[in-house]
Amino acid sequence: MSIFEGTKGYVASPELMDSVNIAIALKKPLLIKGEPGTGKTMLAESVAEALGKKLIIWNIKSTTKAQDGLYMYDTIQRLYDGQFGEGGVDDIAHYIKLGKLGEAFDSEEQVVLLIDEIDKADLEFPNDLLWELDQMEFYIGETKRTVKAKHRPIVIITSNAEKELPDAFLRRCIFHYIEFPGKELMEEIIKVHFPEVEEHLLNEAMDVFYQIRDIRDIRKKPSTSELIDWINALQIGGIPYGQIKAKLPFIGVVVKKDEDLEQTVHHNFQ
Amino acid sequence: MTLGEWLDLENALDSGLIGGQLSRFYYGARMILVKSETDYDKYDEAFEECFSAVKKDTEIGTEMLRWLDKSDLMQLAEQEARDHLNKMEGEGIIIDKEDVEQKFKQRLKDQDSEHNGGSFWIGTMGKTSFGNTGGNIGGVRVGGATGYQSAFAVIGAKKYRDFRDDRVMTNRQFQLAFRRLRQFSSRLDTPERELDIDKTVDETCNQGGVLKIEMRKPRKNSVKLLLLMDSGGTMIPYSSLLNDLFQAVNKSNHYKEVKCYYFHNCIYSHLYKTPECENGDWVETKWLFRNTDKDYKVIIVGDAAMAPEELYSDTGNYRGPNDGLSGEEWLKSLKRHYKKIVWLNPKMAPGNAPWREAETAVKQMFPMYKLTVSGLDKAMIKLMETR
Ligand SMILES: Nc1ncnc2c1ncn2[C@@H]1O[C@H](COP(=O)(O)OP(=O)(O)OP(=O)(O)O)[C@@H](O)[C@H]1O
Ligand SMILES: [Mg+2]
Repeated sequence: MSIFEGTKGYVASPELMDSVNIAIALKKPLLIKGEPGTGKTMLAESVAEALGKKLIIWNIKSTTKAQDGLYMYDTIQRLYDGQFGEGGVDDIAHYIKLGKLGEAFDSEEQVVLLIDEIDKADLEFPNDLLWELDQMEFYIGETKRTVKAKHRPIVIITSNAEKELPDAFLRRCIFHYIEFPGKELMEEIIKVHFPEVEEHLLNEAMDVFYQIRDIRDIRKKPSTSELIDWINALQIGGIPYGQIKAKLPFIGVVVKKDEDLEQTVHHNFQ
Repeated sequence: MTLGEWLDLENALDSGLIGGQLSRFYYGARMILVKSETDYDKYDEAFEECFSAVKKDTEIGTEMLRWLDKSDLMQLAEQEARDHLNKMEGEGIIIDKEDVEQKFKQRLKDQDSEHNGGSFWIGTMGKTSFGNTGGNIGGVRVGGATGYQSAFAVIGAKKYRDFRDDRVMTNRQFQLAFRRLRQFSSRLDTPERELDIDKTVDETCNQGGVLKIEMRKPRKNSVKLLLLMDSGGTMIPYSSLLNDLFQAVNKSNHYKEVKCYYFHNCIYSHLYKTPECENGDWVETKWLFRNTDKDYKVIIVGDAAMAPEELYSDTGNYRGPNDGLSGEEWLKSLKRHYKKIVWLNPKMAPGNAPWREAETAVKQMFPMYKLTVSGLDKAMIKLMETR
């Protein structure tokens, strides 16, 4: 059995790694929740990389339906082909295109399937997938073919907003909530991205960053990716020692809403 | 929690994946049994209660922790629970999960001497995936210098308290309540009046190009929201509540349109763009009427606590202009303009207290609900009623 132990470019807490391994061992989807930018999407990439498996990403949008993940029947192409006398029109299988889930099932090797931001879809969406995720198969009515997973994919599902997912769906998942990284962990994450970062710049920037997150009534708390962008900007900008707190250079990279910007600029950073 | 999840936990224990350390068990069991961060705090409480013996007396505690790390105590406890379960199943009795838990705990308590069997905690696979936490393992980064935090350190920090959903009102509850608006909107009994392009194309193609029109119910959320919030003096204690509400509405980008304005005590000729309610930083109420149609669902949040003249006098607005109309008349014009308005009140006294004249009057104008989980729910249902 393959065991996930993280990758160089991704900092995972031990319990996060455990969650992946437990999900793999129990053959269950892993549901990952957490604030934006806590590395939910990246986890799947890291798992695929660490285990040397192909990653298939199914990005969920508000219009996505469960069927989209299974297969699509391209009737238009078939009509065209029929009108222009192309061959193969009788073979419907020709016009069946597998969706991401279908692709994952049909793969010759075990893959990692990321269902990203499942909460974007309709409330009923997760329920519509229960059977397929349980049985790892589905039926194509048009061709009377059953697509069955040759190798059970490792399924990682992310959810962003604090939206209710159906109980029946939750029962089938291993669930882990990624907490917003504390300073120690954050430092490691930053160093993964900028191994050469100057200590004082890092410390000062992190200080300000966490204080911004603590400002009362801030509308959008800045996330890890914003801190990364900011540190990048600060490095390029060559900000002299001790100036970050006082001048808040490039702060627009961290705080994006006007209201928040105003609060931040007037905040007294310690 | 269901029986299936409980069995999953057993499986995980069997595979040795969550053994080795109490803290590892803490996280592992949580992942399998608890499916929402809002329940983490309750899990902590249960966990603490169950393992409090370990924590209470430091001397015994350390001993027990050391012992837990390598003993088959858990295995025995688990075996007990499993036997119990099987037996009941055999007798065709419905399994009471509390009963199983009870047994499990009891077994833990009863255990008072060190049983040395196989090193169950180290894992039946002969190895754990992370031999030593912290630092680098073969180029692998394990986050946090200390590796696993002690389970009790996690519990002690009470850091999941904020996620609990039985507190008065949380951001999450706002969001859930607002999702109601959407859920109902997709279930409206509307006729099939939208062209289902995909289906039409499919059907047409299947008929060799002979057009066959397919219709469907509109799927999109057509709800438009107007949020008007009181940020006057008496509302200050609720400012973070209002902020949560604002965030919930803004986060759930499921509405066709969301507009948000503020007022001070009562609505007059102008609505402010920010909670600070600074004169000048506003829109005219009439402008709003021109730019929002009657289908906007209006949610007014306020305590309706004001002096009678603030409501009834046409010079009652002591902070800004009245423009010839009293607060009451402005509210009435709001009522005339929009089809659906609800009023959410964080304070709301029951009944019609005579000394709260203004509140009583407002209550007669708009359906008013207390700003609690159930009140909000009722208000959302009211907003979505057809008619
Ligand atoms: N643990 C981590 N290790 C390394 N980089 C990280 C980690 N967490 C976050 N990052 C950085 O933050 C960025 C955002 O991460 P990612 O897109 O995975 O977050 P997310 O949780 O999926 O966010 P969203 O909810 O917005 O989709 C990544 O591109 C990466 O640069
Ligand atoms: Mg993501």
